[in-house]
Amino acid sequence: MSHMEPTAVIPPLAGTASATHASVSRRALLMRRLKPYLYLLPAIVLLIIWMYRPLLYTCYLAFQKWGMVPGTEPTFVGFDNFTRLFRTDSFVHSIGNTVFYTVGLLPFSIVIPLILAVVTDGMKGKSKNFYRAIFFIPMILAPVSVGAIWRWLFHPSNGLVNNLLLKLNVVDRPIAFFSDAQWAKWIILFITGWKMIGFAVLMFSSALTGINREYYEAASIDGAGKFRVFIRITAPLVSPMVLFMLTMSILFASQWTFAYIDMLTAGGPYGSSTNVYYEMYKNAFANMNVGFSSAAALVFFVVFGLIALGLNALSRKLSFYDN
Amino acid sequence: MQGWKKGASLILALTTAFGLTACGSSGNNNDSNAAAAGNASEPAEASASAELPALDPANPTKVTFYSYSLAYPTMKAGMEELLNEFNETVGKEKGVIVEGIADTTLTQWKTDIQAGKQVDIVQHGFATMDSSRQTLGFKAFEDVFPKDELESHLQGISPNAQALGKIDGKMYGLAFTFSTPILFMNGKLFQDAGLDPNNPPKTWDDVKAAALQIKEKTGKDGFGLAPNNGWTTEGVILSNGGKVIADDRKSAEFASDEGIEAIQMWKDLYHSGAHAVGTDSEVTEQFMAGNLGMFLQSTSVYSGIKSASEAAGWQVYGAQMPQFGDKPSVPVNSGSMLAVRPDSDIKAAAIWEFVKFVTGDRGYTIITSKVGYLPLRTALADDPNGLKDFVDQNPLYRVNLAQLDRIQPVAIWPGEYATEIATAFTDAIVKAVSTDADVRETLTQAQDQINDMLQQ
Repeated sequence: MSHMEPTAVIPPLAGTASATHASVSRRALLMRRLKPYLYLLPAIVLLIIWMYRPLLYTCYLAFQKWGMVPGTEPTFVGFDNFTRLFRTDSFVHSIGNTVFYTVGLLPFSIVIPLILAVVTDGMKGKSKNFYRAIFFIPMILAPVSVGAIWRWLFHPSNGLVNNLLLKLNVVDRPIAFFSDAQWAKWIILFITGWKMIGFAVLMFSSALTGINREYYEAASIDGAGKFRVFIRITAPLVSPMVLFMLTMSILFASQWTFAYIDMLTAGGPYGSSTNVYYEMYKNAFANMNVGFSSAAALVFFVVFGLIALGLNALSRKLSFYDN
Repeated sequence: MQGWKKGASLILALTTAFGLTACGSSGNNNDSNAAAAGNASEPAEASASAELPALDPANPTKVTFYSYSLAYPTMKAGMEELLNEFNETVGKEKGVIVEGIADTTLTQWKTDIQAGKQVDIVQHGFATMDSSRQTLGFKAFEDVFPKDELESHLQGISPNAQALGKIDGKMYGLAFTFSTPILFMNGKLFQDAGLDPNNPPKTWDDVKAAALQIKEKTGKDGFGLAPNNGWTTEGVILSNGGKVIADDRKSAEFASDEGIEAIQMWKDLYHSGAHAVGTDSEVTEQFMAGNLGMFLQSTSVYSGIKSASEAAGWQVYGAQMPQFGDKPSVPVNSGSMLAVRPDSDIKAAAIWEFVKFVTGDRGYTIITSKVGYLPLRTALADDPNGLKDFVDQNPLYRVNLAQLDRIQPVAIWPGEYATEIATAFTDAIVKAVSTDADVRETLTQAQDQINDMLQQ
């Protein structure tokens, strides 16, 4: 007999169970799909605050005239900052110097360190680490100390370099290295390069350590000479690191030279050793013209962005990976 | 799945936009906060009144003082003594605490104003005061300090010195550390070269002859004036009857025949083989090391030179700035003035107490004897309770004081491009003097460039 038993539990209405189930699973699905983006969110927020917001703000300021003084308002000046930028002699000179520093730093960031890394890689025992430590020491010295040491060495009347040159009769008058336009930028380049070598040697040494030794043994059995081994085995296998250092060197040459320009020449004599970054800094914080400085920053953001893209493409094309 | 990805991307985009808006609005808040706090930059609240409000010693008012002298090794100790003495005496009694900030870059006060920090008093250079007045909210003394107290305080300071910080008839800076260039001489090198430091060179021709003699007899450089010195150059041009800037301050005039002739003379001396090479600091170090016969420089470095010479066993002598022929030389002033940015009447009262102390008798006694600058209250040099003993022991200061009646103010470049103009002027001089560049062409080109900036 079938009859309805009284029950304390009211049966669910038709359709309710499946609706609840669907709602829960939809929420779970939503959470599951949102999760990776939530993990990304802190990084993205920080990037927005520290990178993209200043970038957009720079774009805005490039069209304004403003001294960044609290209580004052920027004035819209259209493209005035950009037209003035390319009419300003010191800025045009600074572009030439930036190219000089960028190209001039390549031997210090690639050629010399690669040679030093290869030579020390073949050394046995403690001597390898000893030499690498010597090369690396300049890298860990504070730029201010480095600047002070080189300033003392190159001093026109009291410096060791001039005294030596005079004693050896190489020159008959002391050279004012930091106030002679023919010397100032070469000295800045040399000091920056000297400091850079240690870091680059370390990078190339680590790349060399990663090369499978069996290739060298095989080449040795086949009777290959040292130069041929370098060209056929070492060079292709360190090519990703060479391209990485090339990118770093080109993109950061201006930043690395900045400290020594500021400390040793202040861009002089008559702007002959300045670079674009130093000009931007001077315009924003000494000349109080942040609009002009932002216009310069924007132009070089685009220029360096294009260079970075080009190097990226080059890296994909030329790098050889031992997979 | 694609739809979800799009949805999630949309959420991210919205978050990004929100972030940007939030950042933007926070930036605006900062701006408005800064505008409120930083009404220091437009401190209209601090107004000239018959009397400033009373300070409270129990609740002292703090003011900041940005000073490049605090960052110079040869001046630091003296400047710290000045601040400490103020804080321990007048400051404690009246209720003012002055915090000294060493401005190593000479631009830190600018960046701190930009950052919305409290910048109340600045040891400010002369050349760019007009630009700071226009863009950084510095106030005229007449507008923020009581008129009668100001007039009474300025008694004893020569009108020439008071005029140094005046723009459009108002005092935007009161001369503080102040000097003129004098010809320092290394007594030992002079004697070794057969010259008498008590009979110093008077004209530029005499200087060249003495420099060559020192070089020939001792092997050391005879004379030094760094081309990038910035301000002494102006005295060289003025001494030959030239001008750096027009009287109405609307155009540069240094590329006149007189100006070009003066710079040409310097260039000839520079390339004579007896002139020191290097930057201003390098030439200063060369003189202090005893490797330079004569050095044209501000007396502000005297304390450093004196201790270096005593340590090395040679005596330093001083002479007036060299002249062209029989035309008396026209030195300009070096140093700085006090420029003020009070943002309230109580701050103005605190700043005023500090200004009165450091530019008063006691202040100048410390500045001259411990830092090395001249006393703007020149009577102190003959006051037995002031600097008489010190000046008697350091007769070199008499040389400097004697030049004061011929002094002319260093050029105050007008308008917002003052810093760029000052740099363009110095760069042109460096190029004209130290390289093979044609003097007339280089100076004329720089003058045209500066005049373009002045007309913008």
